[in-house]
Amino acid sequence: MSAKRKRPGPAADSAVTEHEKSVHEVIRSKKDMGVSQWEIKREINLAENIITKCIKSLVSKSLVKEVKSIQNRGRKHYMSAEFEPSSEITGGAWYVEGSLDTEFINVLKEQCWRKIYGVKVATLEGIADAIKRSNVCQIELTKQQVEEIVKALVLDNEVMEVKSTGTGEFASIPVGKVCYKCIGKRGYGGEPKLGALAFIPCGVCPQISRCTPDGIISPNTCAYYQKWLDL
Amino acid sequence: MIKLLNARFVERCPASEPVLTNPTKQELSARKRAAKYAKILEEQETLEQRVVEAAAPPEALRFLLLTQTEPAAEGKDETSSPIVAPGEKRKHDALESGTEYGATDEPVVLWRANFEEFIRRLRHKACIENVKTRLDDGAVTVLKAMLEATRSTEKKVKTENSVPLSLSSIYEEVIKSEDGRNITFDRVRASLIQLSCPPFVIAANESYSIDFKKIIEMAQNEEVESIVLKRYGKDAYRMFRLLSNSSHLLETDKIADAAFVEKKETPKILYKLWKDDYLQMEKLQVTGAKRLTQFLLWKVNKKLLREHVLDEMFHASLNLSQRVAFELEQEQELLNIPRDKRLSRLRKVRLLLESSQMKLDDAIMLFHDF
Repeated sequence: MSAKRKRPGPAADSAVTEHEKSVHEVIRSKKDMGVSQWEIKREINLAENIITKCIKSLVSKSLVKEVKSIQNRGRKHYMSAEFEPSSEITGGAWYVEGSLDTEFINVLKEQCWRKIYGVKVATLEGIADAIKRSNVCQIELTKQQVEEIVKALVLDNEVMEVKSTGTGEFASIPVGKVCYKCIGKRGYGGEPKLGALAFIPCGVCPQISRCTPDGIISPNTCAYYQKWLDL
Repeated sequence: MIKLLNARFVERCPASEPVLTNPTKQELSARKRAAKYAKILEEQETLEQRVVEAAAPPEALRFLLLTQTEPAAEGKDETSSPIVAPGEKRKHDALESGTEYGATDEPVVLWRANFEEFIRRLRHKACIENVKTRLDDGAVTVLKAMLEATRSTEKKVKTENSVPLSLSSIYEEVIKSEDGRNITFDRVRASLIQLSCPPFVIAANESYSIDFKKIIEMAQNEEVESIVLKRYGKDAYRMFRLLSNSSHLLETDKIADAAFVEKKETPKILYKLWKDDYLQMEKLQVTGAKRLTQFLLWKVNKKLLREHVLDEMFHASLNLSQRVAFELEQEQELLNIPRDKRLSRLRKVRLLLESSQMKLDDAIMLFHDF
C-alpha cells in the first residue's frame, strides 16, 4: 500500500486504524456520489473481509453512512458522512429510499390533469402556477419538474401537446407557444379504445408465432379462445 | 348506371389490346446512362406496368357514358346527364354524332367496378371515424363536407393531402349537408381551428386541406399502441409512445426517466418489446477512463412494425375464420347437449367471432390499403 498524506480529520479519526483510514479516504474521494464495497476493493489492495470490517467500524463511528443508490439497489453504497447523496444516486425528487415514488407521481399527474381540464388549454407556466397555489404538494416543484409530469401525461395519452394558433381557444396565448389539452371525451385514467387486434385473444397471444391451423397450438384448441368464447 | 358513374363506382374497362409506344432512342440512352451512373436499385418499369398504363382509359373518358342512353336521357336537365369535363364537351359531341347513326363498327364499351373508388370511400370513412373519437360533431360535419367537396379531385387512393379549400367554399358545402344545415359561419371557422390543432387539417393562407396521411398514421399508431398496452402493460405503453414519437434513438436510462419507470424494470420491458419485434436496439460501447461502458439505444421502426402488425392481423383473421368453421362443425357433433342450448351458444359465439372479424378487416384495410 502506498503511503498517503495524512488528512487533518476530526478528533475521532485518531481512533481509527491505518486500514480504516485508507478505506475512508477512498470513500471520501467519491464525494456525493458514494461508492460500493466492490469499487473500494478495486481501488485499494486489501482483503475483502478487512474492507468489510473497516466499513463496519467507520459506520459505527459515524464517519461513513450507508445510502441507497437507484443504479444498484441490491448493493450497499457508502458515502462519507459530511456529504448528502447527489440526485444521480437518489434519482432526484421522484425517488424515495432509492425507489420510484409512484404514489406521489400519480397524485401529481392527476392534479396536473385536473388543472388542464379546468382551463381547456393550459401553458406549462399556468399549470405550474396552479399547482403551486393549490398546495397539493408539500415541497415546491420547479417548472422543470412540472414539465416532466405533464410530459408523462402526454405519454399516458391523457393530454396532448399542441401549438397555439392564437385564435379561438388559444386567444390568450401567444402564437406558436406549446400548450396542453386534455384528450377527447374520456376522463382521467380511462383506458384508450381497444384496437381491433387487441380486442381478440390473438392480439395479445404470446404464442401467436407458434400457432398454426393444425399444430399443437391452433385456433381450434386454443385455451384463450375457449375462455373468450365461454364468457 | 348514370348514378353509379356519377359516384364513380363503375369505370370503363381498360382497352383489350393496348398499343405500346416504344420508348425513343433518346429515352433509352438516357435510361442507360442513369442506370450506369446512379447505380441505384430503382424499380424498373416492367413491361406489364407499361401495358397496364397504356390500357387505362384516359381520365376524361374513364367515367364517361356515351350515346345509346342519350335518347332515354332526353328531357332531363343538363346536370343529370353524364359527367363531361369542361373542354371535353366538344369532343364528346363529336363522338356522339359519329356513333348515333348506325355506327355498328363502334366497339362495345365494357364497364367494371371501380375498386379504387370503393377503397377511397372507405378510407374517408375511416378518417371520419378516427376524428369522431377526438372531436365534437361540428368538427366531424365540417370534415365530412370537406371530403365530399374534394373527393372527385383525388387521383390515387393514398392521397396525402386534399386540395385546399377556402373557408367560404367549405361553409357552402357544410350547409348543403343534412347535419350541417343549421351551422353558422363562425361555427365552421371554430371547427376548422379545432381540426387543425392535432393537425387533421392544414391551414395555410386562409385555405384548408385535409391531412390524410396524418389522420391515417394516427389511427395506425393507436392500433399498435393499444396492442402494446394490452400485451405489455401501462409502463411499456408510455415507453413505446415515447420511442414512437422520438425522431432518434434513446438510451435506456433516459427512457426510464421520461416514462417514470423504475430503472431496474426498464431494460426488462424494453427487452420484451425488442424480442417481439416492436423495438429496435443498438449497442453503443464507450471506453471510459477505467472501463468499457455499454449503452443500449432503442427506437421504433414504424415501417417494419406496421408490416409486422399486418402479418399478425392476417394470422388472427385466419384464426377467427377457422374457429367459426370449427364451431359450426362442433355444433353438428355435440348431439348430447340439448338443441336449444347448443344453438344459443353457437349464435353468441358466431356473433362475437364474426363481429371481431369485421373489425379486424377494417384494421387490415387501415394498414394494407390506406
